[in-house]
Amino acid sequence: MSATLAEPARGAETRLAVRGLRMRYPNGKLALDGVDLTVRAGELVTILGSNGSGKTTLLRCVARLLDPSDGEVLVAGEDLAKLNGNALREARLALAMVFQRANLVRRRSVLANVVGGTLGRRRTLWTALGGLPAEELPLARELLSKVGVERLGGQRADTLSGGQAQRVAIARALAQRPKLILADEPVASLDPEAAEEIMRLLRALAEESRLAVLCVLHQPALALRYSHRVVGLRDGVVAFDLPADRDADLHIALLYKEMAA
Amino acid sequence: MSVDGTTLYVAPRSARAEPLDASAARPEQSGLSRRLLRIVVGLVVVGVVGQSFVVVQARPEDLITGVHGMVDLLSRAMPPAWSESGDILWPSLETIDLAIFGTVFGVLMALPLAVMAAANVTPARPLYFLARGVIALTRAVPDLVWALLFVTAVGLGPFPGALALSVHSIGMLGRLFSEVIEDMDFGPVEALTLTGASRLQVFTHAVVPGVLPSLLGISLYRFDENLRSSLVLGFVGAGGIGFRLLTAMNLFQYQTVSLLLLATFVLVMAAERGSALLRRQVA
Repeated sequence: MSATLAEPARGAETRLAVRGLRMRYPNGKLALDGVDLTVRAGELVTILGSNGSGKTTLLRCVARLLDPSDGEVLVAGEDLAKLNGNALREARLALAMVFQRANLVRRRSVLANVVGGTLGRRRTLWTALGGLPAEELPLARELLSKVGVERLGGQRADTLSGGQAQRVAIARALAQRPKLILADEPVASLDPEAAEEIMRLLRALAEESRLAVLCVLHQPALALRYSHRVVGLRDGVVAFDLPADRDADLHIALLYKEMAA
Repeated sequence: MSVDGTTLYVAPRSARAEPLDASAARPEQSGLSRRLLRIVVGLVVVGVVGQSFVVVQARPEDLITGVHGMVDLLSRAMPPAWSESGDILWPSLETIDLAIFGTVFGVLMALPLAVMAAANVTPARPLYFLARGVIALTRAVPDLVWALLFVTAVGLGPFPGALALSVHSIGMLGRLFSEVIEDMDFGPVEALTLTGASRLQVFTHAVVPGVLPSLLGISLYRFDENLRSSLVLGFVGAGGIGFRLLTAMNLFQYQTVSLLLLATFVLVMAAERGSALLRRQVA
């Protein structure tokens, strides 16, 4: 597989460009110190790093769940770091997020959860009152079959296994029709087999649907197997940004060895 | 829920382990002082229970001599006055409706208060303290006292009883509702916010489905409690079966009393079973 990993996205459209991103928390801790990062369409990029290296902070700054102190976050050409209110909401439609936990609405059906991903572009009185946009149901079914759980549509979300729930969460993210998917440790609470399946799915989405995927992982082996590029983060600074091959292997080993020392 | 279930399961085990560790930590304590401690604790317990006998003026001998009176009363109450069954239908309905009114208006008023009194969603800090205050006040004053107040205000009949149940329910429900909201899983809220959904959409699609079953369950339980309270409220003139019970007692109509007690029993059991059944449905 690694032979095909090299440069699938050369010349492809840039979906996420992070430039000089700095994040200082109110308590004075500098979590990100000038991060530069690019993710192109068709590319799965993984961020590795020890606890406290700034991985999750980076992802949350990109999604503007946190307000970065300085720098640019260009998502499909718009600088999210400078937007607020409605403009931010509109621009954020281009990015979808997958979390460590699936974060589904437990008592609703799987199908209803997936349709939830379309609420951002279906802002009607009906949906504000809790109704589902019926015109999005075919899309939701199609996406469920795309992530391989088409038969679960009618089931309640709290009856799913961890791996199934994460697939449904990915379908919900896709229902948003994003250009960029952010995944924050999407396999951390899954068993090894389900973890492989989810990573395979994310990679397939990048390659076949030409999405840009930025993923935070704690497992170097998974990162090497499924990413196109790996980015090492150390103390809020990019330590390396390499194609996922043998060379990266060495750098990753170094990154975690320093942490242990 | 399963996560909560696990932590709940773990907690008692670790709590039980603690005293074991504590005693293991100080094995050097002498046998004499430990025996002394036990004697002191024993004396304190006996003293506390003993003083309660004195204060409540317990007279067990009166209980024994009083058996005659009770047997006499029971024999005069038998058989229940079945012929009056038709007459107690209306008070029974009144009792049920007292509970319905009290619960419905309690819920309607408790909901906005609970949103204000939940630390994680409250719109503003002053509102939080205001709502907490209202909830504490309506909870602390018993429904019987509220009924006395409302009887004075609006006169005898079921209406003051319904008002009393409503007001007391605001406090009981408001506190439980706000706890449900505070314990809510925020994952889906964050996930839907990120899809670009509006605040109202997030509320109706993530918050409401998240907390609704718990709120329904609590409300049904409240109905069950309100029904039992409404029986007592009759004693202060607030309508329903309780009021008829008081009247029959005062007129020495013991056969009517036994019929009314039977009706009470049936109502309470039905409400308990019914609300338990519905609670299982919404869980």
